[in-house]
Amino acid sequence: MRETRLWSLHILVIPIILVLLGAHFALMHYAPIFYALSVEKAREFSTMIARGKNIGQFVVYILLLAAGLYHGLYGTRGILRELPWSPALAKLIDLGILIFGIAIFALGVYVTWWTFNFELGG
Amino acid sequence: MLVAKTITFRIRRFDPETDSAPHWDSYAVNVFEGMTVLEALHQIKAEQEPSLAWRSSCRMGVCGSCGMFVNQFPQLACQTQVLHLEADIVSVEPLPNYPNVKDLVPDLQPLVEKHAEVKPYIIHPDLKEMREPSGEFLQTPAEREAFSQFTYCIKCGVCLAACPTAATDPAFLGPQALTQAYRYSADNRDSGVHSRRDSVGAFHGAYQCHMAGACSHACPKGVDPALAIQLLKRALVLDNFGFGKKESQSAKVAPLADVVKELEEFAPPPRTAE
Amino acid sequence: MTNNKPAVDNRRLGLRGWVYAGKYTFERYLYLGHRLSGLGLIAYMVLHILETANRMRGEQAWAELMAVFASPPFKVIEYLLFAAAVFHAMNGIRLMLVELGFFLGKPQEPVYPYKSSVLKHRPLTYLVMILAGLLMALGGSSLFFP
Repeated sequence: MRETRLWSLHILVIPIILVLLGAHFALMHYAPIFYALSVEKAREFSTMIARGKNIGQFVVYILLLAAGLYHGLYGTRGILRELPWSPALAKLIDLGILIFGIAIFALGVYVTWWTFNFELGG
Repeated sequence: MLVAKTITFRIRRFDPETDSAPHWDSYAVNVFEGMTVLEALHQIKAEQEPSLAWRSSCRMGVCGSCGMFVNQFPQLACQTQVLHLEADIVSVEPLPNYPNVKDLVPDLQPLVEKHAEVKPYIIHPDLKEMREPSGEFLQTPAEREAFSQFTYCIKCGVCLAACPTAATDPAFLGPQALTQAYRYSADNRDSGVHSRRDSVGAFHGAYQCHMAGACSHACPKGVDPALAIQLLKRALVLDNFGFGKKESQSAKVAPLADVVKELEEFAPPPRTAE
Repeated sequence: MTNNKPAVDNRRLGLRGWVYAGKYTFERYLYLGHRLSGLGLIAYMVLHILETANRMRGEQAWAELMAVFASPPFKVIEYLLFAAAVFHAMNGIRLMLVELGFFLGKPQEPVYPYKSSVLKHRPLTYLVMILAGLLMALGGSSLFFP
């Protein structure tokens, strides 16, 4: 069944989010603790671009984008659809969230790709 | 009978033929030790308000008719002792999340319809064997234990009054129906969750349970719907990925002669007249 | 009156029922917290994607934006987000395990006083909540007292 697959995926991405978001937090917000790097330094343009040009970072960010957006938007859809909509409106909500998710994912991928290919000082 | 205390009952009244909106009426009742909310309602009806309506039958927690919202908790009026509520004012309302027929009478029609929707009966994988069994269907104590708890449901509807999803989603199958879906799916005589996935595996089925746990807290029979629904989700996921499908059970059907022999072996010795 | 359509008393609690529906155990409020923190986090994630897309406007624009986020009010918002993420993650670990049927015990004959699956997995609930509390304290101390 479709819903079973969607829900299973919603659960399956949890470990991915836990690990990758944990790493993301450590990198961005706990830089002083984990990397002896000040938060300001970690957020500087050049630091960010340098990070983004790492292939590992690139893959991790795409994966985190996909997992996080899927998990969050599936959850949002569940919450919204628990309200008593007409079948037509319920379909519209599903479709709207799907399109929104794809669009925001595309933007995220584009920005990550842009960073990956950015030439510093160029 | 010894009167222990005078308690004020605040009862939510509504008569669709005369009232445009519900209102609250108060009744003072002399409560004795051991008196149940249901007995108090009977006393109010006999002595103060003959038009008060509710539904009850067995008075002993078996029929599932008198589910009510008593002091902010859904429970059976017949199993709730007034003095155990430890309150001077007892509020009584019809169960939330159901349409109200009159006074304390909820319309349980949605519950019954959802119950029917999940195919609450044995679906044997071998249709021929189900209709004309070649022998008795055997079940070990462990096989029965897997679902026995969920057979105690009395369809009182208390769980849906507690459920947050049922508060907004009229299409949600709800703790009662989902529990019964698992009760039959977990039965070793049944073909499993596969034949019920169209209802319980759809959006308004098992996945709209988020383990708030209120149904299990409220269930007056200890059926634990939350447990059944989580086990149902696991069964659905396993079924979807091709695990946990049940083999045909017909092989387990013992020839009648063997069953009779076994029964004779384990039967207690015949009693002798004294 | 007979010509009028009978009045209807719909007792469906609606959105209010997500928040409060009676005297239940605290797990029902964890459900609410999980829901609210989840909505907050996905809203932030979308904003975060839009916000970090600002890098494409160049180094100057990026530096200006980061200066805004370094101000005290944003520190507080950042901490609230962190706390929401920690709560959602810890409670989510519990839910992930429990919704797949783990830690709930086996079905058993109901004997009064009943011990429901909610009570049976309560040690796990306490454990994840303590972990969440520790992480929130740790995050707070490093964010506000670097």
